[in-house]
Amino acid sequence: MRSPRSPALAIAWEFRQRHRWGLIAVAGYLLVVATIRFLILEPGEPVLVDSLRFAAVVSVPLTTTFVYLLTVFSFGFAGDLAARQSIYPPRMFTLPVTTAALAGWPMLYGTAATAILWLAARLFAVWPSGTEIPVIWPALLAATLLAWTQALTWMPYGLPGLRVIVAVLCLAALDTVVLLAIHYKATERLMVAILAPQIPLAYLAARFAVARARRGDVPDWRGMFARLGQIAEDLPRRRDRFPSPARAQLWFEWRRHGRSLPALVGILLPFELALLWLAKDAPAFVFEILFLAFITPPFMAAFTAWTVSQPNPQVRDSWGVPPFIATRPLTSAELIAAKLKMAMWSTLAAWLLVLVAMPLALEWSGTWSVVTERARRMNDAIGTPRAATVVLLILAGFIVATWKQLVQSLHIGLTGREWIVKGSVLLTLTFLILLGPIVEWIIDTPSVQRALWNALPLILAGLVGLKMSAAARIATRLDRSRLLGDCALVAGAACWVLAVLALYGVLVWFFSTPFVARYVLALIAILVVPLARISAAPLALAWNRHR
Amino acid sequence: MINVSELTRRFGATTALASVSLSMPRGAVYGLVGANGAGKTTLIKHVLGLLRAESGSVRVFGLDPVADPVGVLSRIGYLSEEHDLPGWMRLDELIRYSRAFYPAWDDAYAEELRRAFALDPTAKIKNLSKGENARAGLLIALAYRPELLVLDEPSSGLDPIVRRDILGAIIRTIADEGRTVLFSSHLLGEVEQVADHVTMIHQGTIALSAPLDAIKESHRCLTVRFAESRREPPAVAGVLRWDGGGQEWTAVHRGGSGELQAAVAGWGARIVAERLPSLDEIFVAHVGMAAASAPDA
Repeated sequence: MRSPRSPALAIAWEFRQRHRWGLIAVAGYLLVVATIRFLILEPGEPVLVDSLRFAAVVSVPLTTTFVYLLTVFSFGFAGDLAARQSIYPPRMFTLPVTTAALAGWPMLYGTAATAILWLAARLFAVWPSGTEIPVIWPALLAATLLAWTQALTWMPYGLPGLRVIVAVLCLAALDTVVLLAIHYKATERLMVAILAPQIPLAYLAARFAVARARRGDVPDWRGMFARLGQIAEDLPRRRDRFPSPARAQLWFEWRRHGRSLPALVGILLPFELALLWLAKDAPAFVFEILFLAFITPPFMAAFTAWTVSQPNPQVRDSWGVPPFIATRPLTSAELIAAKLKMAMWSTLAAWLLVLVAMPLALEWSGTWSVVTERARRMNDAIGTPRAATVVLLILAGFIVATWKQLVQSLHIGLTGREWIVKGSVLLTLTFLILLGPIVEWIIDTPSVQRALWNALPLILAGLVGLKMSAAARIATRLDRSRLLGDCALVAGAACWVLAVLALYGVLVWFFSTPFVARYVLALIAILVVPLARISAAPLALAWNRHR
Repeated sequence: MINVSELTRRFGATTALASVSLSMPRGAVYGLVGANGAGKTTLIKHVLGLLRAESGSVRVFGLDPVADPVGVLSRIGYLSEEHDLPGWMRLDELIRYSRAFYPAWDDAYAEELRRAFALDPTAKIKNLSKGENARAGLLIALAYRPELLVLDEPSSGLDPIVRRDILGAIIRTIADEGRTVLFSSHLLGEVEQVADHVTMIHQGTIALSAPLDAIKESHRCLTVRFAESRREPPAVAGVLRWDGGGQEWTAVHRGGSGELQAAVAGWGARIVAERLPSLDEIFVAHVGMAAASAPDA
């Protein structure tokens, strides 16, 4: 292999070499959309694409790719966004290269890559006929967003976490300006005039940021909060013994991961519920806001789960179990049990926030009557017991969904194998991309709907068969590897059966209709109560812990 | 206490350990020495159960550390070379957390160690210096008086004062009757100070494993003065390494020196100095570059 002869080529080589598989995937995606456009569709054929299909084929992959490029060229995969220090790799500061080059080359490559991404998508992707898709300014917007992201993330900050706040605010402000310009139908020339000067400005900011980071000039404003820190210091800390190693491990997991979900929900909830003050005269909007608040915990849990399932998110090699944890005299099953319990407490804390804040916001915003009116109508329609059951079931469903989001990917992340984690992310993305068109196809085709409805028991039985055979295989492995004792396996199975029976009982009581057979309800109950994936988590951790 | 039998471990195409067999009885200090990448950490990770034996077996206290991590790890104190204590914890939290796992945790001893190491209980781990971090790790590895203390490159990158603390900890552990220490180190002077038994690992195999005194007794360092200047030293059975140049060459020799003395007389040369080599010299002779030698003319 020939070695690059200039700093510019060396920096480019590093980006290419390190992210070659991702960049190949991006090229593959563009090839697929180009094939659809130029080989499958006839020239001049009108393209009538609905929003769902367009989102699946163009919007979602394009946005994902853009975010990926943003992370690559900002060095976001290796840096700590929450740290005060710049996320620019410090090892590069000792290279015999000017600061202008250190800031300039990654910015040039990044802005070029994002602009090319847009131009390629504009040229190759299938866009709905009759819509005028601009060429220049979206490319400039992508380049500008990237350049400012680089400048803002490379800057050292005085407080931990400030980088995220500043970056979000600045990028949101830039987005707002662009959205306003679109709203008022600004011409392409005006858009270019707004966006083009941003790139040199961002470059100057990035050069300043890299220069400061290079000379170790990291401001420290934590002294301003010293008094708060002193108060925290003075608070009594528990010094008594943990009653058991399992409790100590639960404390460890809670301190490391447990507070993230309640904190995220606590940050978002006030903004969401503040909308209730705007919705006094629009009852439908009130329920949309409440729905938004209800889906916040499970939605945020999906993000938090990423760190929960990583054995050691604090370090760069976050996949392997750190020796400190791996050498705890606990079984892998006990380590997993601590994570499951932490997830439960974290879920309950997040929901406690929602359930306390929601009635208060409804009361103070004067929208409580909208909810009570809807409750009264529901009460009249289906009776108090059923109405109460519906509400409790929905609430329980959201709470269980939150907990499930937190723990369902443990068996992937804890394997410690990067290829499994990345493969599962790829499969999930592919599934999500395909889901839209398939659902659309089913909705649009009554014959398919009929066939699916007729085959529903068979499909459910097949899924149950898959789930139970996977669970049986996992139970056998758990037993053979002695990760779980016989008593624990039997107790776990008994708890699962009880949960399934309880859910089945509720479903039978609620859906007392001849249109849904009871065995279908039983199959649904079996599928809904988690079993196989959670049972696989101790095996995954043991595979990682004892490599 | 530790029995390793025919242990082989590969990472891709690299063989980290090749049919390693080792037996460590209770109540001694074992120094594990070897160049970077020789397989010391891999062997220690097998002892801790962090790596599963691909072939062969590992038994610690008669137990398989992978199958019974609780049974093994509750009796081992371990200080990792990675100094990977959770940075978000304060020292007193680390102590409170750690003592939950070990019924034999001795609060008075932990406090004694904390004072001896001058560690602030309210300090966050992430704010500790590298030396303080090593001391904190040592504190939680020692405070329950483990039957086996495992130290993986404990002195790596540390100043002499922290290294002295670590040596002191090893000596304290030895003082507790029946306890065993296994430690790996590059600092052979330290190994020489405290180890009863030394195992040298080279490219995944055991190059030498014997009591330290026996190793030193079985090696000689001889300085030979030749009648004429030589560009290369002669090849003699038992000489592990030649150093020097011109008329004067120094040989590290294993076994009785009679054969070398006879050879020297045959070359018309004479031995000008003879002494016991240091462990460092023995190590370099065994695992360093092969002795430059040429057939004697």
